[in-house]
Amino acid sequence: MPTITFDINDLNKLVGKKLTKEKIQELLDYSKGEIEAVNGNEISVKSADTNLPYLWSVEGIAILFKGLLGLEKGLKQLKLEKTKDTVIVDKSVKDVRPCIAAFSVKGARVDEYLLKQIIQLQEKFCHSYGMKRLKVAVGVYNYNKIKFPVYYKAVLPESVQFMPLGFKREMTLGEIIESHPTGMEYAHLLKGFKSYPLLVDSNKQVLSFPPIINSEHSGKVLPGDSELFFEATGNDRGAVQLAANIFAFAFAERGFKIREVTIDYSGKKEQSPAFFNDSIKLKAEDANKLLGLNLKETEVKHLLEKFRYGYDKGKVLIPDYRRDIMHPVDVIEDIGIAYGYDKIPLRSMKEYTLGGTFPITKFVDKARELAVGMGYQEIYSPMLCNANLLYSQMNVEDFGTVEIETPMTELFSCVRTWILPQLMELLSSNKNAEYPQRIFEQGMVTMKKDLKDFERMAVVTAHTSASFTEIKQALDFIMNNLGVKYDIENTVHHSFIPGRVGRVVVNGKGVAYIGEMHPKVLANFGLSVPVSAFEMNLTDLFETIKK
Amino acid sequence: MDDIKQLLASLHPLERKALPHLKEGISLKELEKASGLKEIEAMRALQWMENKGILKINQALKEVVALDKNGVEYREKGLPEIRFLKQIADKKELKVSEIQIPKDELNIAIGALRQKAAINLRKDEKGELVVSATEHGKGLLKKESMEEAFLKLLPLELSSLAPEQKFAYDSLSKRREIIKTDVLKLRTASITDLGKKLMKEKVTGNFIEAITPQVLRDEVWKNANFRAYDIKINVPKIFEGKKQHYRAFIDNVRGKLISMGFREMAGPIVESDFWDMDALYMPQFHSARDIHDAYYIKDPKYGVIDEALMKKVKAAHENGFGTGSRGWKYTFDVLRTKRLLLRTQGTACSARKLSSKDIQIPGKYFGITRCFRYDVVDATHNCDFNQTEGFVAEEGLTFGHLKGMLKMFAEEFAQTETIRIVPDYFPFTEPSAGLMAKHPEMGWIELAGSGMFRPEMTKPLGIDVPVIAWGIGIDRLAMFALNIKDIRHLFSHDLNVLRQMKVMY
Repeated sequence: MPTITFDINDLNKLVGKKLTKEKIQELLDYSKGEIEAVNGNEISVKSADTNLPYLWSVEGIAILFKGLLGLEKGLKQLKLEKTKDTVIVDKSVKDVRPCIAAFSVKGARVDEYLLKQIIQLQEKFCHSYGMKRLKVAVGVYNYNKIKFPVYYKAVLPESVQFMPLGFKREMTLGEIIESHPTGMEYAHLLKGFKSYPLLVDSNKQVLSFPPIINSEHSGKVLPGDSELFFEATGNDRGAVQLAANIFAFAFAERGFKIREVTIDYSGKKEQSPAFFNDSIKLKAEDANKLLGLNLKETEVKHLLEKFRYGYDKGKVLIPDYRRDIMHPVDVIEDIGIAYGYDKIPLRSMKEYTLGGTFPITKFVDKARELAVGMGYQEIYSPMLCNANLLYSQMNVEDFGTVEIETPMTELFSCVRTWILPQLMELLSSNKNAEYPQRIFEQGMVTMKKDLKDFERMAVVTAHTSASFTEIKQALDFIMNNLGVKYDIENTVHHSFIPGRVGRVVVNGKGVAYIGEMHPKVLANFGLSVPVSAFEMNLTDLFETIKK
Repeated sequence: MDDIKQLLASLHPLERKALPHLKEGISLKELEKASGLKEIEAMRALQWMENKGILKINQALKEVVALDKNGVEYREKGLPEIRFLKQIADKKELKVSEIQIPKDELNIAIGALRQKAAINLRKDEKGELVVSATEHGKGLLKKESMEEAFLKLLPLELSSLAPEQKFAYDSLSKRREIIKTDVLKLRTASITDLGKKLMKEKVTGNFIEAITPQVLRDEVWKNANFRAYDIKINVPKIFEGKKQHYRAFIDNVRGKLISMGFREMAGPIVESDFWDMDALYMPQFHSARDIHDAYYIKDPKYGVIDEALMKKVKAAHENGFGTGSRGWKYTFDVLRTKRLLLRTQGTACSARKLSSKDIQIPGKYFGITRCFRYDVVDATHNCDFNQTEGFVAEEGLTFGHLKGMLKMFAEEFAQTETIRIVPDYFPFTEPSAGLMAKHPEMGWIELAGSGMFRPEMTKPLGIDVPVIAWGIGIDRLAMFALNIKDIRHLFSHDLNVLRQMKVMY
């Protein structure tokens, strides 16, 4: 969710009306925007819609606001000035970064504030919509330093060297990737490619090394410049064109004339910016059906125009700075927003439905109630933990664990397979709390085998005279009240003391282990009181008693 | 006078035993002796009487000189040097090796005697050590030494030692583990005015203490008074069983949703990209996935997805699957969709339910689902948390119904009818709306997100009716209701915190 910062007076100037902060927030509701911070005249706005990058500029916001305020209406279109400027695209870029869009502007002047705004839009667009420059990267240049035609081609990393922006010496493309901070940051985008993309003019002056960095020569825009060249490169043609369109509309809002550039794909020529002239069919009744309204076609037209769409006989004309409309529902939402969500009449659900939960959920809840009734404090733990706790500290071998490929920390590197270790850890960190400590946790675990989840319950008693008898009484109380007949068989489990550990069997199926914790395990957790415990698989138990 | 009577009736048997023996300045030891009570009983009696204002306990510290480990032995057997001296006193000379004394005491004895010039030592012609007593040494045996006399008198209070005793104390202090100095608490009682009045009363013994079966059977109570208790006295706290606070909160949410006609749904913890994102019409390469940084699992990497269903979802992404949508227009990666990860959002369960055979339409569903996000754990982020969300599927549902549902949620979960429904964005709903609710105490909060599932999502899953999707920010409500400031405390492992946590009602 990108956040942008701009001057309120600038917005007011672009809109042509003085707006209060309250009014701005009200209008931002229409664009899913939210004022995050106000600092004097400076305002920061967070945009929730990651699919509408035109709103990540104050110019784009102004275009929408003018429609909402009725100062302008309908589709906004740009007039382009013809030029002979050409970008010649070499076939060599086809694999590495095939698409480019470009244009130039003149007729107004860049000041420090505008320069900041341009860089801000460039950064937000390339980072979020451009997927950190993978899909789109954008460059802006001093037009007067470029001799057309400009060539877009892929070259060997060591064959070209130039002075990167903000640097005082020339570097080869390979050097930039290896040792320039920006080069290192984005090096992964070019990993595996033999040749790297390059923009170079007819004087053999490098414009930039996309998507990495501009040149110091022409890629440096300064306050006072009035003629600029813009280009966007990437691997998604539509996204690259969208970038050019959004910037062209933004510059036009500032009074710049937008000048065309011809993109020459080996003889196949296209004009840039390439406007989409997109439209989608819409029936007013579909909008009414989805929104629960009764709008006439003229009202639909009016609302669409307020939102800066065009409308012509069942066809919605989509602004060229938008590429998010896939289905009529996308337009219908904007009709609803323009109409006002608060004005849409509220309706109650008409169908009666019966609520409910799973039988197993009711079952585990009863088991929890019984544990509470015995005086045990319920515990609720995260499901992520680590193999050291689950196995090493418990003196057992791994019994099949779902591990995370790239954990953020070793502490949370797998999903728990049983609960008792976390309760032991709790005892370990609560040695100063009053004894007896009687605790239990009921919850989900995940086994690697078949990636199945199980409801389990661990019950633990810790105090100077905690014993097998006490924990068996607890098990017996729960089983009796659940109406379950069970046997306890001798078994081996290295978390428990040999000869004091049992397997709880119901209908021939092992459902729990019960016993006194082994002193070795107690020592691992730094405990100096005896601990008795059982852990039961409630999913297995429930399934076997239901049969 | 009634107060005195009442006070008398409330005396515990121990207090009644102690009371007649009280006198100004009596010490605990003296009271034990006089009343025949054990130390702990006498102490309790004094404390209770102090609580009742009958007396005041004064505490003073005193240092007492007592026998240490070796001292106990020496008092009985005599000091090593005396025992040594006795063996040589009537002999001219004796080999040291012939003297009967434990080895570890030998050096101590020789050291002490040489210091007092009581013996002479020399080596004989064979080089063996021989010893003889001096006249002064022989004289020493004629009377008991100051040290021996001192040992017999212990324990003594340090501050009240006589000069001779002080000399013995200093000399013995330098030697190993013969005497030690203990710091003792000396408790004495001073009687208050109330106590003095009380002591003038006759203390009779005919009160009933515990109600035993015998008291009831023999109807003893008919002819006796009950001893009154100090009912204001503090009792030790007990920590019995109760539900965990956050779990109890979730139980409550589940109950509310069920009562509103929602049926619970679930899904596996380990999900595939398919159910977690692709089936929700979230494109495989889009920044909307940036907000769902996920925990992919190490092994196995890929799961199994129903091929026929996957084809439909693939078509929706690529060309809209005949929904009237143009789709995301990219080539859907059929391997990536099988990639396994820990569920990042509860909507995965909604997708599964929508495509399941047992779905009922009209139907309302909810899930309280454990989800996982790649996040640094801090006061506001858990990498492991619960989401509460669901959907309503019904012919003829409109955005108006969505508003109606959100209003119901505001009333049920935030106890308010003051709400705002504002435009919002979710990758899988259009239109989308956010519910702002004015909570009576929290003020305006973002309570829920909602929207109509996109046709590109529902149609491939086999659903042709409108579906309202919703999600409620439960954790924030839980933290408020439970007065928790740090989100990690929802899963607190601090037993003191858990024991002190209040229950909600």
